[in-house]
Amino acid sequence: MIHRSALRLIKMFLTRSEYDRGVNTFSPEGRLFQVEYAIEAIKLGSTAIGICTNEGVVLAVEKRITSPLMEPTTIEKIVEVDKHIGCAVSGLIADSRTMVDRARLECQNHWFSYNEKMSVESVAQAVSNLAIQFGDSDDDGGAMSRPFGVAILFAGCDEKGPQLFHMDPSGTFVQFDAKAIGSGSEGAQQSLQEQYHKSMTLKEALTSALTILKQVMEEKLSSTNVEVVTVTPQKFFHMYSKDEVEEVIKDIS
Amino acid sequence: MAVVETYAGYGPIQAQRFSPYADNGGSIVAIAGEDFAVIGSDTRLTVGYAINTREQNKLFRLSDKTVLGSCGCWCDVLTLTRVLNARMMMYNHEHQKVMGTQAVAQLLSTMLYYKRFFPYYVSNILAGLDENGKGAVYHYDPVGHYERNYYYAGGASSALLQPFLDNQVGLKNMENVTKEIISLEKAVAVVKDAFISAAEREIHTGDAIMINIIDKNGIREEKFALRKD
Amino acid sequence: MSIMEYNGGCVLAMMGKDCVGIATDLRFGVQGMTVAYNYEKVFDVGPQLYIGLPGLATDTETVLQRLKLRVNLYELKEGRKLQPAVLTSMVANMLYERRFGPYFVEPVIAGWDSKKNKPYLSTMDLIGCITETDEFALAGTCSEQMYGMSEALWQPDLNADELFESISQAMMNAFDRDAVSGMGAIVHIIEKDKVTTRKIKTRMD
Repeated sequence: MIHRSALRLIKMFLTRSEYDRGVNTFSPEGRLFQVEYAIEAIKLGSTAIGICTNEGVVLAVEKRITSPLMEPTTIEKIVEVDKHIGCAVSGLIADSRTMVDRARLECQNHWFSYNEKMSVESVAQAVSNLAIQFGDSDDDGGAMSRPFGVAILFAGCDEKGPQLFHMDPSGTFVQFDAKAIGSGSEGAQQSLQEQYHKSMTLKEALTSALTILKQVMEEKLSSTNVEVVTVTPQKFFHMYSKDEVEEVIKDIS
Repeated sequence: MAVVETYAGYGPIQAQRFSPYADNGGSIVAIAGEDFAVIGSDTRLTVGYAINTREQNKLFRLSDKTVLGSCGCWCDVLTLTRVLNARMMMYNHEHQKVMGTQAVAQLLSTMLYYKRFFPYYVSNILAGLDENGKGAVYHYDPVGHYERNYYYAGGASSALLQPFLDNQVGLKNMENVTKEIISLEKAVAVVKDAFISAAEREIHTGDAIMINIIDKNGIREEKFALRKD
Repeated sequence: MSIMEYNGGCVLAMMGKDCVGIATDLRFGVQGMTVAYNYEKVFDVGPQLYIGLPGLATDTETVLQRLKLRVNLYELKEGRKLQPAVLTSMVANMLYERRFGPYFVEPVIAGWDSKKNKPYLSTMDLIGCITETDEFALAGTCSEQMYGMSEALWQPDLNADELFESISQAMMNAFDRDAVSGMGAIVHIIEKDKVTTRKIKTRMD
């Protein structure tokens, strides 16, 4: 006799294939499988970590150098959205470009219309609006046929101070004190939970982010295979140079 | 354009061309102080020599910190302010905050420029407190050029009012005076005096003035009678 | 653009207590281009008697010359000097002669009426419609600005010093908001037995 749970699994597997076709078709259990698959997809991406402190936000990502012939500087996983906002991405990087473009556009539009910086939350909201447009056949050509396979960390400083937001392929965005995404996210998130405290300095957050990254990375951490950015109320978006990264790594055992 | 007739009474007849604009007069004065802003407008609404009403307020409260004074073609004023209010409401919902005076200033400019080739025929002055709580006055041309000042006069009597403000608020052509920022009492007095003078000579300005005083405690309103002839 | 604004310029006069003042700006231009900044538009045409002729500069000069001719003839025929009211009538008549091809000037006349022993002030339009006043009179390209200033700064019974200050401030702040007037000013304060003339430095743009 087959175990009941096994039966359920088989049944689900069967139902899945039926409800996978339309990206916006709910399964009888009330699930959107394509969205869930997309969330699975981002778990294959490289690890990215964001930590929010009172002094600013730190973003650190690993760059997977898959070949010694590869030029590491051309892998760009943390980008500037506006002077005061940066974001780290994990998953299908090509998809992320579309979303980053939208984020940048919304920031500039906001500046044009209101002559002020767009808030981090509003940027996340704007990108979320794009993320859930997949499968909208009513839209004239603009919408994607499938969900974006990207998770994004938005780091920025606005009038509410330093903030960190996480968004997944479903377009859901939530504010975090510290968040890890990508393949090593489970372990990293656990470590973040242990290490994070409200009175963390930016420098502490920086070391913490890189230490955790080092733990979850397969390769040896070096100044070529990580990207580090801080967003502070003073210097806004600041991408760490190779020398600056080395300076931070030096302190990590 | 008049009906064009040829010698025989035949030939092209041109219809009366539709004129989309009216000038409904009205004037606005605004003065910014250190931690307050005062804005006043007359309450007369005219078409040519006719007075449509003697009690039309031309000040629009956009928020607790921002007041817009708007005059010119009154139908354009109504439309512009309604659209502006709607845009501010949308901003409020999208960003979960009240629009600041500087953001409203930029938005108004953008909205005016979007009708660059069929403009709102409107003279705007925006008064309020900026993000640091300092008094701010912005003035506009009909197609969205704008500038921040300490004082400005707009509308039908702007030519009569502006040099007076230059002298009394900007302290222009004054010798042996300390250039200090105007007090609230003086600002309100200057607004009244300016309108009294303008109402003497400019027929589209008169009846009364509405004054809004914007400071950290909110907005106070004051009404002051002018000559009604 | 109106021909009255071709050269730019303005004149402002105010009545005080036992005094009357009249002021002119000094700009002469051709539309936007400033040609000179020593061009007076107020002229001395008798004892304690001044006429301001802002408008088209060529007509300012022609009207002044033709007026001087008539003033001289009057003085020779009548054997006495002109009273301000007489000058006003004379100018008005002269302008009305050109009712359908007018001189483009709007005269302002200020002087001492020695018969009634009090100051006199009048103005007229370019075809000679007279307005006598005991408040203030003005004409020129920044008339709106001057009306705004004068309504606020003028009050009855100003003494000579106060009158000078009021006229100067009213005129300066008015023409600073007019691109085709300004470039300095000259103020004449007329009293019973003296005239004080002062030149005012202003912004030159």
